[in-house]
Amino acid sequence: MINTCALILAGLVAAPLVGGLVNGLDRILTARFQARVGPPVVQPFYDVVKLLGKEKTVVNVWQAFCAYCYLAATAISVVLFFLQSDLLLILFIQAVGAVFLVIGALSSTSPYSQVGAQRELLQILSYEPLLVLVTVGIYLETGSFKIGQVYAWNEPLLLKLPFLFVVLGYALTIKLRKSPFDLSTSHHGHQELVKGLLTDYSGPFLALTEIGHWFEVVLILGLCSLFWATSWIGMIIIVATTYFLEIVIDNVSARMTWRWMLGYVWAMGLTLSVVNLVWLYVE
Amino acid sequence: MVTNEWNIVIVEELIFVLIVLPFLAAICSYLIRSGAVRSFIVLATGSLMAASALLLIPRVPFAFSPKALFGVGVHDIILAADFFLLFLILYFGFKHHSLVIKILALFQIVLMAYLEFFLIRDDAAFLTIYCDNLTLIMVLIISIVGSIICVQAIPYMKNHEEHLDLKKSRQHRFFFVMILFLGAMNGLVLSNDMVFFYFFFEVTTLCSFLLIAHDGTETAIKNAVRALWMNSLGGAAFIVALVLIYKEMGALDMQRIVHTSPAAGLCLLALALLCFAAFTKAAQFPFQGWLLGAMVAPTPVSALLHSSTMVKVGVYLVLRLAPAMNGTFLSQCVALFGGFTFLAAAALAVGQSNGKKVLAYSTISNLGLIFACAGLNTPEAVTAAILLIIFHAVIKALLFLCVGTIEQHIESRDIEDMRGLYAQMPLTALITVMGVIMMIMPPFGILLGKWMAMEAAARNLYVIIMLAVGSALPVMYWARWAGTLMSDPFAGRFRPERQPLLTWGALASLCAAGGILSIASPWLYSRMIIPALNGNYVPPYTVHVGILENSFGVFPVLPLCLVAALGFVISIWAVRRAARARIIAPYLSGLQTAEPGVFRGPMNRLVKAEARNYYLSSIFGEERLTTWINLGAAVLLTLLVGGAL
Repeated sequence: MINTCALILAGLVAAPLVGGLVNGLDRILTARFQARVGPPVVQPFYDVVKLLGKEKTVVNVWQAFCAYCYLAATAISVVLFFLQSDLLLILFIQAVGAVFLVIGALSSTSPYSQVGAQRELLQILSYEPLLVLVTVGIYLETGSFKIGQVYAWNEPLLLKLPFLFVVLGYALTIKLRKSPFDLSTSHHGHQELVKGLLTDYSGPFLALTEIGHWFEVVLILGLCSLFWATSWIGMIIIVATTYFLEIVIDNVSARMTWRWMLGYVWAMGLTLSVVNLVWLYVE
Repeated sequence: MVTNEWNIVIVEELIFVLIVLPFLAAICSYLIRSGAVRSFIVLATGSLMAASALLLIPRVPFAFSPKALFGVGVHDIILAADFFLLFLILYFGFKHHSLVIKILALFQIVLMAYLEFFLIRDDAAFLTIYCDNLTLIMVLIISIVGSIICVQAIPYMKNHEEHLDLKKSRQHRFFFVMILFLGAMNGLVLSNDMVFFYFFFEVTTLCSFLLIAHDGTETAIKNAVRALWMNSLGGAAFIVALVLIYKEMGALDMQRIVHTSPAAGLCLLALALLCFAAFTKAAQFPFQGWLLGAMVAPTPVSALLHSSTMVKVGVYLVLRLAPAMNGTFLSQCVALFGGFTFLAAAALAVGQSNGKKVLAYSTISNLGLIFACAGLNTPEAVTAAILLIIFHAVIKALLFLCVGTIEQHIESRDIEDMRGLYAQMPLTALITVMGVIMMIMPPFGILLGKWMAMEAAARNLYVIIMLAVGSALPVMYWARWAGTLMSDPFAGRFRPERQPLLTWGALASLCAAGGILSIASPWLYSRMIIPALNGNYVPPYTVHVGILENSFGVFPVLPLCLVAALGFVISIWAVRRAARARIIAPYLSGLQTAEPGVFRGPMNRLVKAEARNYYLSSIFGEERLTTWINLGAAVLLTLLVGGAL
């Protein structure tokens, strides 16, 4: 019981802190790639604190509802991950968060929010099937959707699921809205899309979406860690390498269109998944 | 089994109320042409049926064969009615000059005569009525959800006829068929004798024909005729299956088929034909045309066809026969076919901006998922199928009634016209959004069913890929719709719009039922679904403080519901606080004006900012996909029936 409470607390408190720090590191690394110094590593926290202190303004009251629901869903999915619950269920719950973010954006009549929301839906459409197939692969190998049993598996999953790990990489890049998949919103609020999905979230509500995003980052890192769960070092290496690669890809690629994303990701992702799944079925 | 004689009497009375009373009430509401009396009849019949269905709960399982009704042998009544029905269909074939209907009706008449007068021995008697928990679940859905829809139809039809400006009311005809439909559905699910089943099967075909044709416009008649021939095709397949089964087994007893699992030779072909009949009823590809065409009818008809009646006949039939198909190639084909329909219909729904069409494709898609589950035939999958039947019935009824209410108000069913509906119809818009949320989000029942289905399908490569892709598509079309309803310039204080009491009652009760049943789903599982597995399947999940768990998955229903409720309360509190916050205009990248959505653009001109949803018709449009999907479905159907040969 105490153990469960500790895990829930860890999920609720430690996870966003880690997510924020990872975000800070991301910004420093990106700055270095672009020959800048970059902000301090705790800058994301400064930003969020500042946003939380701002005056509440909304375009539509239901935006507040959606921001809270987004935060709640991402937090619940991370807590369930810490409690080593069911992988497929966790995917469903993080999708709830994504959907509320979209509904919140759609509740504004600004064309930038609207277009951003539509593109976010296309991003969800692109990565959801892939994430499901990755969990199916994990189930076929370990015989369980429960994270506890996946962590207890005595062999690194990467050896049996290499292609599915690549597929997970695609899905994560889209989920994190990194280039070339930063279609619905991006870090740079001065492009054709303004801030897309997030255009009309402002002040404390924007802060909530930012904290929700930190939870998502942690969930994603957790999913990566499943692929080398036999040792702590392996886990840290695989997570760090993956995230580093995400940042590199983000910096070396340009934004593409949604048509390209849907076609390319489904073609590549589904093919790689099928190859890997067939391999597992044959065994 | 019920042994007590007193109990048997009660059960017989309840069955009478569930099957025969609707037929009598239908005739009364046809003959007595007064609005008040008709409303009373509908309300009374609905309440009686719902009460009888609830009273049936502690009395299952039971089985009996009633001898006579009003002094005439039950079997003779059914036989006479069956021929009457087939000749009626033949008459409609002549009336609407449809060669297909004429041929199919004649074919069924000939085979029925052959079966009854030459094949079945005179002293043959099969168990007529059999009710286990699967039947009970269906009876509850039909009697409660169906009755709620009929009740909502009272204010709806009044509005509808005022709008059409009819000189002579045709409501007596409408409610005659609606009530009859419910009785026929109850009769169908309770029948164990397959001749009875076939009779009620045909009654539902005819009822849906009459309801679709109700408005009498050219399109209505055309679509109704299409529904009649497509469903007659199913009826023809059904009667061929009956002949085959009788020749092979010497009985037309549903339970005997399930228990002897004669999955070989002609019986297997018969099972395949029954699946075919089920697919036509459930409007699976390539027979989707009749269900899509059915939306020309008044909305309560769509609600009835899509949720508690008609299409559910198909999934009920296959689910009933699933134990007999276990382990066969046929069962795998059904899973594959269901998975394909699930994916294809979801893809087509993405391309639609017509709200009713989105609902129709979503129904076809969900039924495909239920078929896939029945075909997978594992305990988890069958549990998922039953859960999906229950929740789909409640929530699809809710959504159709919402769209009907909206349509009468804004005179459009296009999603783009519902933009900012929250400003005009706040409560209806919110209930619709609740319905959408219950369609796509955990911890609500449909997602619980989807979760079970996907975990059950994980060992079947083809099916799981189709389910994985197909489960992402609904998020796209539902989230888009929900967001569009809420998209408005801030409307000030919340004031529910005016609607008839019966409309509010129907919407609120269905919405509440969706939520409460979701919370109660662990109980639903252990109290209703485990007995419905009938010992044919091992109960797949253990229930512990509202947590469903098996060896490879866990879904903490109750804890999640509690957390979700907490999150909901906090979010609502946030809305109330935000109502006091400063309301600002949406960002338009230009100088704002006082008028919402208009900004001052270049050359000081006023520009109206507009955005529409992506419907991606170049990828998901009907013109682009339907031909290929029909082709794919036809290939799979050929495989299914051919494989059984």
